[in-house]
Amino acid sequence: MRKILLSTALLGLMSFPALAEETYGVLMKTLANPFWGAMELGVKEGAAAAGVNYTLQAVESDQAAEPQLNTCNTMLETKMDALITAAINSTILLPCLKRANEMGIPVVDLDGNLDHAIAADAGVEIAFSIGSDNVAAGAQGADYLVSILGADATGKVLVIEGLSGNITGKKRADGFAAQLAKTAPGLSIVASLPGDWDRGKAANITNDILTAHPDLVGIFAANDGMALGAVETVFAAGKQDQVTVIGVDGNSDAVKSIKEGRLDASVAQLPYLVGKQAVEMVGKLKAGEAVEKLVMVPTMVLTKAVLDAGTEPMLEFVK
Amino acid sequence: MTLTSFFERANVRVESLIVLAGLVVLMSLLSPVFLSFSNFFNIMLATTTVGILAIGATFVISAAGIDLSLGSILGLSSVVGAALVLYVGLPWPFLILGCLGAGMLAGAANGLTVAVARVPAFIVTLGMMGIARGLALIISSGQGIYGLPPEILFLGQARPFGIPTPVYILVITAAVSHYILAHTRFGHHTLALGDNEHAARATGINVRQLRIKLYTLSGFMAGLAGLIFTARVNTGDPTAGLSYELAAITAAIIGGTNLFGGRGSILGTMIGALVMGILQNGLTLMNMQSYYQQMAIGTVLVAAVWLDQIRSRGRVL
Repeated sequence: MRKILLSTALLGLMSFPALAEETYGVLMKTLANPFWGAMELGVKEGAAAAGVNYTLQAVESDQAAEPQLNTCNTMLETKMDALITAAINSTILLPCLKRANEMGIPVVDLDGNLDHAIAADAGVEIAFSIGSDNVAAGAQGADYLVSILGADATGKVLVIEGLSGNITGKKRADGFAAQLAKTAPGLSIVASLPGDWDRGKAANITNDILTAHPDLVGIFAANDGMALGAVETVFAAGKQDQVTVIGVDGNSDAVKSIKEGRLDASVAQLPYLVGKQAVEMVGKLKAGEAVEKLVMVPTMVLTKAVLDAGTEPMLEFVK
Repeated sequence: MTLTSFFERANVRVESLIVLAGLVVLMSLLSPVFLSFSNFFNIMLATTTVGILAIGATFVISAAGIDLSLGSILGLSSVVGAALVLYVGLPWPFLILGCLGAGMLAGAANGLTVAVARVPAFIVTLGMMGIARGLALIISSGQGIYGLPPEILFLGQARPFGIPTPVYILVITAAVSHYILAHTRFGHHTLALGDNEHAARATGINVRQLRIKLYTLSGFMAGLAGLIFTARVNTGDPTAGLSYELAAITAAIIGGTNLFGGRGSILGTMIGALVMGILQNGLTLMNMQSYYQQMAIGTVLVAAVWLDQIRSRGRVL
C-alpha cells in the first residue's frame, strides 16, 4: 500500500511540470524579511491565477551577491520560459542575465534593482522593470508631514537615509526633501544622515539630533525599521506630541506600531502587488502584448485613521 | 601503488573522496540535469573564488596559523584594482597588478604583525578583516566601481574551448600550489612548523621568515580571487567576499587539513571546495532553499572530521 502511495506521489510530481504550460524562474534576494515574503505570496498567487509553474530561489542574505550569481547560473540549467530577478546590486547578475538572453529567456527586473543603461551596456535586454516609485514614496511622506503641520509651518526636520550609496534609500530621501522644499519651505531639514537600514543606528541618530535640536518637529526615515528605532527614541525623550515620525515600507511591525499610536505613518509599498503584477505582465509579454519598460506599482500612506477605518481598497494588498 | 595509497601519499583524506563520490551519485539520481558538462563547469565556476581562498587558507592552517581576513582582502583587492583603472585611468594590466599587489601587501602586513610583533594570528587577521573591508568601502565610497576594459572581462567571462577562464585559473593555481605544499622544501617547512614549532626551530627553519611568506602567499590568493571576482562581475565591489574566509576554512577542513597544523593538502582542499559547490548546486537544482544548503554544508563539515577521528582512533565514539 505504502509503495503504491509513494509511486503515485512520484508520478504526480513527475507529471506536474508536463501539465503546466510554462515555468517562470524567480530569483529573490532573501526570504528572511516580511517584505520579500509578501512578494513571494504575490508571485505564488499570480502564478496560480495565470496557470503557470514557477521555481523560486533566494540566497541567505541580501548581502550575498556572488552566491546569488551562482544560484542564477544554476537555475538556468533547468528549462524555464522567463527569469524574474531581484538583483542584490545593479551589476552582479548581468553575466547570468546575458546568458538567459542568449538562451532566448526574457529577463524581468523585480523591484527595480537594475539600471537599464548599464544592463544594455553589458548586452542584457531587460523585458521590463517592475517596482515601487521610491521618489514618489518619499514625496508622499512629505505630503503627509505637511498635512499634519500645515503648509506655512516652520520647524526642523531630520531625514534618516538608508545604507550610504544605496539607490533606493537615496531616492526616498531625495523625493522627501524635494517635495518638502516645494510644499512647505518653512520646514527645514537640519540633518540628513545614513542610518544604514539599522534600527539601532537610527535610534542613536535620533538621540543625537534631539539633543542638538530639542525643537525638532518631524523625522522621515527611509524604511520602517529605522523609523521604529526613531519613534522609540522620541517616546523615551517624551517628545511624541511634538515630533511626527514617518517611515517607508508598511511592514507588519510598522502597522502594529501605527495601530498602537506610536509611529505616525508609513508610506506602504505593496510587495504583494509587485510580485503578482510581475507574473501577470510576463504573461502579457508572452502573449505578444506591448509592455511598458518601467512598471510603477503605487504606494499608499498608512496612518492610524486609515488602518482603523479599513475602508481603503488597496489595504487588501498590505500583507 | 593502489589508489588509496596514492591519495594518502598526497595527504588527501579518503573520507572526503567518499563524500564527494556519494554526493555526485546522489545528486545525479535526484536531478536529471546535474550530470552534464555545462553543469559541471557551472559548479567549477561557482567554486573558483572560495576555492582559491581555500588554497591560501590551507597553507596558513597547515602551519598552525589562521587567516580570517581572506574575504575582506578579496574585497579590498577588487576595489583597488578597479579604482586604478577606472578612477586613476591607468591601462588594464594595472588592474591585475593592483588586485594581486593589494592582496600581497595586506597579507604581508598580517605576516609581519604575526611574526615580528608576535600578536596572535587570530587577532591580527581579525583586525585586518575590519581594516581591509573598511578601506575598500572608503576607496569606493561604498559603491561598486563598474565597467572594466574587455581584456579584464576575458579573465572572468570568456569560455575558451567551452570552459570558463576562471576554471583554468583555478586548476592551474591549485596544481602549482599542490606541488609547492607537497613536494618543495617550502612546503615541508610549512607542515613541520604546523606540526611542532619548537622542533621546526631546532632543525634550523627560519620560522619568522616562513610565517611572513605564508601570510603574504595567503594574501596573494585573496588578491587573485579578488581579480577573478572583479572580472567575472565587471565590478570592483567593496562588499565582495563577505564572510568567505569561513567558507574557505570549511573547504580546507572538509578536505582533510588539520585545524591545528601539521597536515594539509591542496588536492584535498579542492575536493572539499567541490563538495561544497556540489551541495549548493544540487540543492538549487532540486529547488531547495539556500537555508538547507547552509545546514547541509555544516553537517558535512562536522561529519567529515568525525569520520577522520573514527579512523585515527579506530573506534566510533
